[in-house]
Amino acid sequence: MGGLMTDDLLRVENVDKSFGGHRVLESISWRLQGSAVALVGPNGAGKTTLLNIVAGHLRPDRGRVWFRGMDVTGGPPWRSVRSGLVKTFQQVRPFPNLTVEEHVRLFSRVRGTIDTDHVLQITGLEPFRDRRAAGLPFGILKRIELAKALAVRPTLLLLDEPIAGLSSGEARDLLTTLHNLKKGGTRMLIVEHRLLETLAFVDEVVALDAGHLIFHGPPDRFFEDPTVRDAYLGGVDARN
Amino acid sequence: MVLAAGELQAPYFTLSLILAGVYISLALAWDFSSGLTGYVNFGLPFFFGLGAFATGYLDYHGVHAVPELLAADFAVGLGGGLLFALPTLRLRGPYFTFLSLLLPLIGTDVVLAYWVPLGLPTVGYYNLPFLAPTGLGSLLIVTGLNGLWLTLLLWLRETHFGLVLRGIRDDEEALEAQGLRSFPYKVVAFALSNGIVGVAGGVYAMTTTFAGIDAFGFLFLLFPILIAILGGPGEIVGCIGAGFAVILLSQYLDLVMGPFTLILFSGLALVLVLFLPGGFRGLWRWVAS
Repeated sequence: MGGLMTDDLLRVENVDKSFGGHRVLESISWRLQGSAVALVGPNGAGKTTLLNIVAGHLRPDRGRVWFRGMDVTGGPPWRSVRSGLVKTFQQVRPFPNLTVEEHVRLFSRVRGTIDTDHVLQITGLEPFRDRRAAGLPFGILKRIELAKALAVRPTLLLLDEPIAGLSSGEARDLLTTLHNLKKGGTRMLIVEHRLLETLAFVDEVVALDAGHLIFHGPPDRFFEDPTVRDAYLGGVDARN
Repeated sequence: MVLAAGELQAPYFTLSLILAGVYISLALAWDFSSGLTGYVNFGLPFFFGLGAFATGYLDYHGVHAVPELLAADFAVGLGGGLLFALPTLRLRGPYFTFLSLLLPLIGTDVVLAYWVPLGLPTVGYYNLPFLAPTGLGSLLIVTGLNGLWLTLLLWLRETHFGLVLRGIRDDEEALEAQGLRSFPYKVVAFALSNGIVGVAGGVYAMTTTFAGIDAFGFLFLLFPILIAILGGPGEIVGCIGAGFAVILLSQYLDLVMGPFTLILFSGLALVLVLFLPGGFRGLWRWVAS
């Protein structure tokens, strides 16, 4: 790592990525500006691939990823995390034999030390702190995923479909938690399919379609954008 | 069972208890590194033999004080463990286990092939010092050492270090994805564990007053793992009860069944792995739930 210094928190430059000859991302360039940014797109748009490249889990075929002025292209993930880029998993990956409290304590020394009780409190996990993860409901496991990430004191939180699979009530609760985190100064990049719930909460949207960046702007302009409506939503107003 | 060579210093039952203590040390060490992390180490007899031969070598070169010998055994086991762990613990899954399996074979071959040609005492060291002047004294030392290991390992298990080891067992990839490098933790756990194994090797040598090729034997792999599984993998404290149960039973069966004891215990290992992988603790949790 190390290298070019810029004022941007996150900058993606000309990123290409292919799998088995299939181009998943093509010349993606973008600078993160908002405090909560949604990365959206239909299935196969390349958003999870882009998130994994940003997190250092994947190396792009071409292009660079800059985080706080440091080149973090290609990871390894633990090094990206130590620089402050922390990602949650789309498929929850709890440690089945650890208690909820231990999940937080496990990562509490990666970047300085954090207050375990505070993380459990803001994620609503306090009542479950002594329960082992094995057997806990999916909604709680999603919160554990968030708590693990917060334990690292992220500079930028990368959330891969944080409300996927949750009931509308659970999703609302988790979005409230994210909203509180945002108000507290945590910056985040969210990949999410549930557009309306997500757009109500973010202040910047990046949209991909078939590996191309088709929109970058504030959420209130998202549905008005002709490219989004014609190409991404097939011309249908998604709010209907 | 294994109390074969050397001059017997204490009644058979006392010796059986000392032997149980030696196996409990091995099981505690194995359970700490392998039971907690899930990295199965089959190299236990190698580090055990290393400790036994270190005792013999030092005794032949004028070091006779038991504390010094035990400290040296710990250092040899720790150093040997470190040398093996540094390159091999970068491997994951069966590759590490496979390499660890080769270690006891290497130890045996080295002794058989090079010991006598190098002019060293015939296939081992005889007339080593007793651990203590009396059998009861030896038993107290073994018990004290196991108390020390148990306290140390249980304390470590509850620290952040132990938490990381348990995290490795559950999902090492997720651990690293969240910023924790597992490698240094695994290396330290493995080295410490083999330091304890080295001491157990020295204790065994000073109980039988002999350090020979049998110290690299298969029994020093089978019984510790059996004890650790029976006590509940990663539970550590379960090794104490399981150790006495397994070793005293095997000593008794050895008297009445002879060589069939090993077949019986191999069968028991198979049954345990298939039907009771969580050991007594797992059974208790299942009953309680």
